[in-house]
Amino acid sequence: MSEVLYYFLGFTAIYILMGWALYLPYRVGQLHFLIVACMAVTAYFGGFAAREWGWPFILLLLVGISIGAIIAFVFSQAIGKAPCFTVVIVGLTSVFIVKTVIENWELLGGTIGFFHIPTVKYLLPIIYILLLIVGFLIYKIDHSRLGRAASVVFVDREVAVSLGIDIKKLGMFFQIIACAIAGMAGILDAFFVNSVSPEFFTFSMISYLMCILFVGGYTTMWGVILSAFILQGIPLLFPSEVASWRQVIYGALLVIIILIRPEGLISRKMLWGLKPKFSFNNK
Amino acid sequence: MKNKFFRSFSLPLIVIGMILIFSFNIWGQEVVVDEWRIPFLNCVTGPIASIGEYMSWSANRAAEEINAAGGVRGKPIKIEIIDTGVSKDKAMEEMAKVVDWALVVMGPVPEACIMAAVPIAVKAGLFCMISSTSYEYTVEYFPWTLSWYPPTEEKLPPITAAWAELHPDMKTVVQFVEYSIAWPPMAKAHAIGLESVGVKMLKDVDVPTDAVMFEPLVLKALAQNPDGIVLTCSPEKAAKIIIELEKKGWEDKSKILVFSSADDTALYTTGGKSLDGISIYNYINLYLDDPRWQAFREAYKKDHNGIEPASLSTNYYDSVYMIKEAIENTEITGDPSKLGEERIKIRDYCRNVKGFKGIQLTWDMTDGVPTGKGAFLFVLENGEKKFLAATK
Repeated sequence: MSEVLYYFLGFTAIYILMGWALYLPYRVGQLHFLIVACMAVTAYFGGFAAREWGWPFILLLLVGISIGAIIAFVFSQAIGKAPCFTVVIVGLTSVFIVKTVIENWELLGGTIGFFHIPTVKYLLPIIYILLLIVGFLIYKIDHSRLGRAASVVFVDREVAVSLGIDIKKLGMFFQIIACAIAGMAGILDAFFVNSVSPEFFTFSMISYLMCILFVGGYTTMWGVILSAFILQGIPLLFPSEVASWRQVIYGALLVIIILIRPEGLISRKMLWGLKPKFSFNNK
Repeated sequence: MKNKFFRSFSLPLIVIGMILIFSFNIWGQEVVVDEWRIPFLNCVTGPIASIGEYMSWSANRAAEEINAAGGVRGKPIKIEIIDTGVSKDKAMEEMAKVVDWALVVMGPVPEACIMAAVPIAVKAGLFCMISSTSYEYTVEYFPWTLSWYPPTEEKLPPITAAWAELHPDMKTVVQFVEYSIAWPPMAKAHAIGLESVGVKMLKDVDVPTDAVMFEPLVLKALAQNPDGIVLTCSPEKAAKIIIELEKKGWEDKSKILVFSSADDTALYTTGGKSLDGISIYNYINLYLDDPRWQAFREAYKKDHNGIEPASLSTNYYDSVYMIKEAIENTEITGDPSKLGEERIKIRDYCRNVKGFKGIQLTWDMTDGVPTGKGAFLFVLENGEKKFLAATK
C-alpha cells in the first residue's frame, strides 16, 4: 500500500471516530466539544505512558477509553441535560483549559510538543477493526429504544419528558459513549502520528469535525463516513494549487449543503426511501 | 613511414579520445534528470500564510538566480511549493507523496507539521532541510534534519545582554510571553541573557493566544514598575501592546525590545508610527553592504509593497543554494536507482558544510548545528531599522 493511501485511510478512520463522537450527543441536540479535550488528554497520556513507562498499546487503548468515559461522567453530572449552547461553552472551555495545562507542563514538552511516540505494528488494520466495532455499537444504539428516545428529545424535549424519557440520563449516556470514543481516537492518533502537539487540538479541528457532521448528515451515522472520506480526499484528489483552497472549499460546501440539504448528504428520510428497494421482505 | 603515420593520426586520435572520455563522463557521474525537483512543504494558506508567502518567494528567487546562471550541474532547479495549510494530516499526506522520489525536501513549515510529517521522512531516509524553526524542534530528528540556528539558550542570551548593556540604567525588565510553539524557550533564553548582565527579571505577563484587549496586560506589567520590556509574542499583539504602553505614558521606547519572530509585516502595519524608537532583534542586517543582498532586498521590497525583508525571509533562499552546493560537490546524478545513497550524500554535505556563503553571512555547520551565526540588534527610526549591535 502506498504511504499516501496509508495516511489517508488512517486519518479518515480517526476522523470518522471523532465524527461519530460528535454525532452521538447531537442525537439529543448537544454539540459536545469536550470530545476534543478528551482526545488531547488521552493522546498525551498515551504518548507519555508508551514512551516513558513502556506501557503496551492495548493497555493504553483501554485506559484511553476509560479516561474519556470518566471525564465525560464527571462533566455530564452537570451538563447531562443542558441545552446545546451550554454544552458548547463547556466544551470549548474545556479544550482551552486542557490546551493551556499542556502548554505549561514541561514534562509533556510544553508548547514545543511531545516527540518519539513508539510505532505499533499493523496499526491501520487495528484502527479499522476498532472502527467496525464502534460503528456496530453506534448502529445498535441508533436502532434501540435509546436511539428512538434520542430522536424524540432532539425534536421536542417537552414531548420526550411527557413520554417518560429521562433526558439527563440519556444525555449522560451519549456524552460518556462519545468521550470514550474520543479517548480511543486520541490514543490512535498519538500512535499514528508518533508525536503530539498542543497545535493539533485547536479550533480548526472543532470546525473540521462540525463540517464532517453537518456535510455528511447529522441524522444518521452513515453521513459522517461519507463526508470524512470526501473531505479528507479533497486535498488528495485535486492538484496542490486547488487543494490549497480546501478551507474555502470546506466552508463553501458546508454553506451549500446547509442551504440545499439542511439534514446533510445522507439523511434518515433518504435511507428510509432506499430501504424498500433493497429489502428482501418487500416482495 | 611509421612515424609519419602516427604523426598524422595522433591529433585526431587525441580528439576522439577526449570526446569519448567526456561522453562517458569518466571524471564525474552523469546527471540523469531533466530538472532538479525540490519539494517545499510550506504553509501558503491558513493563519500564517504571510510567512509562508515570503519563504516561497525567497526559495523561488534563489532558483531563478541559479537557473539564470546555468542551473545545477547543467540542469534547472524547480521548487515545488506544496501547501501544508498548518494541518498535520495534510502535511503527513504530502510528505508521504514525496518520500518516494525526492532527493531532499525543504520544510515542513510550521512546527506542528514538522512534528507530524518528519517521522515519515526519517523512516524513508529522506533529509528535511528545515530552516524556519528553532533547534529544539529539529534536533529531535537528527541526523535527518539540520538546525538553521544554534540552540536557543546559546543563540539568544548574547543579544538581550547586548541590548541591556546599551541601557545601563535599565535594572528591571518585564517580559510579555505568548505560550505558543517555540516562544516560551525563547523567552527563557531572553531572561538568561538579561540576568547575565545584572538585570532583574520581574514576573512575566502571559499573553493569551486569543487576546484582544491589551490594556489589562499592560497595566499588570506597569504595576511592577519595570525599566524595560521584552515582547515575546506574535507581531500583531506586540504592536498592540506597544500602542497601549504609549497610551499609558511609556516614554523611552528604546527600552522596549521586540523579539525576532514578531519582526513581520503585521507588526509594522498594526504598530505604525507608535513603533518609532523601539529596539528589535532579528537575523538579517538590512544595511549589509553587499550587492547580492541589496539586490535581494530591492526585489523583495518591489514584490511586497515596499516592506523590508522579514526576519526569516532569507532562510529558504540560502537553503536552495546549500542544496545546489551539495548536489554539485557530491556529484549527485538524480538517478532513481541511487536515490538512497544520494539522499545521504546531500544530508551529510549540508550537515557539515564549511564556509557556506549565505546571503547575509558565511558560516559552518557541524553535525547539523551552525556556528558563527549571530543576531542583529536595531532601533526603529521613522519606520527604518538602524543598526545597533551584532552578536556571534
